[in-house]
Amino acid sequence: MKKKILASLSALALGGAIASAPAMAQNVKVAYLVAITGPIAGMAPMMVQSMKFAAEQVNAQGGIGNGGKLDPQVYDSGCNPQLATDAATKAVNVNGVIGIVGPSCSGPVIAVANSVSVPAGVLLVTSSGTSPKISTLDDKDLVFRTVPSDDYQGRALARALKARGIDKVAVTYLNNDYGLGLAEAFADEFQKQGGTITASRAHEDKKASYRSDLAELAKGGADTLVVFAYGNSSGLTILRQAIENGFFKNFVGADGMRDEGMVKTLGPDNLKPLLVSAPAGATGAGFEKFGKDFKATGGDPNGTFAATSYDAAFLMALAIEKAGGDKAKLPQALREVATAPGEPILPGEWAKAKKLIAEGKDIDYKGAAGDHEFDAHGDVPGSYILYKVSSSGFAEVERMK
Amino acid sequence: MMEFLNFYVVPGIVTGSIYALGAIGITLIFGILRFGHFAHGDLATSGAYLALGATALLGLTPWAALPVAMLLTALLAYGIHRLFYRHLESRPKILTVIASLGIGMMLRSVVQVVWGVDPLAYGSGIARAQAFGPLMLRPREIATLALTLALVATLLAFLRYSKWGKAMRAMSDNPDLARLCGVDNDGVTRLTWFIVGALAAASGFCLGINTELTTMMGWSAMLSMFAAAVLGGVGRVEGAVVGGLVIGLAEELSVLVVPSPYKSATAFVILLAILLLRPQGIFKGKVL
Repeated sequence: MKKKILASLSALALGGAIASAPAMAQNVKVAYLVAITGPIAGMAPMMVQSMKFAAEQVNAQGGIGNGGKLDPQVYDSGCNPQLATDAATKAVNVNGVIGIVGPSCSGPVIAVANSVSVPAGVLLVTSSGTSPKISTLDDKDLVFRTVPSDDYQGRALARALKARGIDKVAVTYLNNDYGLGLAEAFADEFQKQGGTITASRAHEDKKASYRSDLAELAKGGADTLVVFAYGNSSGLTILRQAIENGFFKNFVGADGMRDEGMVKTLGPDNLKPLLVSAPAGATGAGFEKFGKDFKATGGDPNGTFAATSYDAAFLMALAIEKAGGDKAKLPQALREVATAPGEPILPGEWAKAKKLIAEGKDIDYKGAAGDHEFDAHGDVPGSYILYKVSSSGFAEVERMK
Repeated sequence: MMEFLNFYVVPGIVTGSIYALGAIGITLIFGILRFGHFAHGDLATSGAYLALGATALLGLTPWAALPVAMLLTALLAYGIHRLFYRHLESRPKILTVIASLGIGMMLRSVVQVVWGVDPLAYGSGIARAQAFGPLMLRPREIATLALTLALVATLLAFLRYSKWGKAMRAMSDNPDLARLCGVDNDGVTRLTWFIVGALAAASGFCLGINTELTTMMGWSAMLSMFAAAVLGGVGRVEGAVVGGLVIGLAEELSVLVVPSPYKSATAFVILLAILLLRPQGIFKGKVL
């Protein structure tokens, strides 16, 4: 009998201790939703590593609030809307995260925002969803991204071509969110600049022949073909058959066509008439600091989406600190910590940021992948470089405006 | 007019003859072993990559590597039969069909492990077309057509005149009756897998040399190949050839009428129409 009383007393005490602990040190749960499996699984390890690196820096330099820790939970989004929605539902409804970093890929971002995060009022910052369709989501200002929308790339490419005196083009694009998004942005800007698009046709991936497609595209009389596809798939076949049959003289592609394997397969000499755009690698003080620190822990700062993923995770932590852990204040807090004016904060300067926030001062995060001055859609502008094919791969032609 | 021939009809015929080579294998398995072999596309992929391996390891030209690849794929096909399908022979056929889906995934994964997922090619550079009068043809296209013709003619003659060919046809008509008449059913099955493997390798190789080698190439093409086999009449070799050409041409010509993302759907529309209107196919094959 005594033992039982003792046991229940101690249980009571223990339970009380657990219940009262958060009042002193509130841990904050965030979800890192990354496509660990699926088509971009190769990029995922570096994305997860850079996100976790951000969380480690936060926790090593004082954590969140008054002695709390950032508690990141990694989920697999599989680059698949269904998997991503399931994982996000679990994260938000079961595990109670207040913010989502990710998911990877555009389709899952749209699905998760529509069915999970926006209805639940959870802030979402993706580091790899580039579709222009994400900008126009009815997101109640809860969806942000640290990677520029393809809209910018399509428009920059249109202006660059116009500036090079190309007035008439035919466009073919892969029939998915990536191809369609780029083609729409490109067409809109190119026509605004006074250019003519003689034909614009979607195509299906993985066909053995695109010669009939190319013949249809060539009918308009343009001698430049713009290809929004992947250089390791339909883009390669289209270029090969277009060159072999002399359908077009000049070729233009976006980042999906910047594929070294394609140059090797078709031969650099044959690809002289090809120009491709691709996002400029990050530069500046923010990237240098992140690069140095991340390398020291065994990471690759130039990994695809590594810098944007780090920024998304670090910005999420800054916003949580600024909002005092209040979910409803997160979007406003994110805008305040990310955009000018304010005291500049570089990657990893958590202690400094924490002190400034505590003093009530405004901060402005200058990230590894850019300054992250979010616009009304929660988008960041991108900078792009136009490349031509050289004997060893791709050589820079100019920075695009 | 010449544009129509060069950019719609010629690619259609070349693609069609690649489909035909694949469809013959599918139709033989359908006719003789009586199940839909969904690993056929990936068998073709394996053949194409084995040819690539032969060019790299033995220093052969791609066309010289083809017989090596055909032989290896024939052995591979027979090996798959011995390891997997043979144990399911007495069970309902649907088990073998589903098992073949799994075999396809295994083959694809092995190719991905060995050669990676990036596209590869037998040679770098491009081949511009040569003019034959107003016709524009590439050497590899002529070779593809010639190879298809030669293989089909050999196979037809073999089935019609040789003892083993007759045994294959007998088993296709009625396996029990064939066994009673002294046909070695196991021997015919073995021979069928050898022929099917060799033809799959040829179709994969032709697909690869006319475009690129990707690990999904066979899987993507197989759906059109199935449509071709059913269209021609299941179990009929000449039907598979005609079916392949019709599907190949229809896919290319469809671009004139419908948006090109529907290219792949053309094969299925034809397949649906055939199953509804003439389930025995053009050449009166077996009704599925």
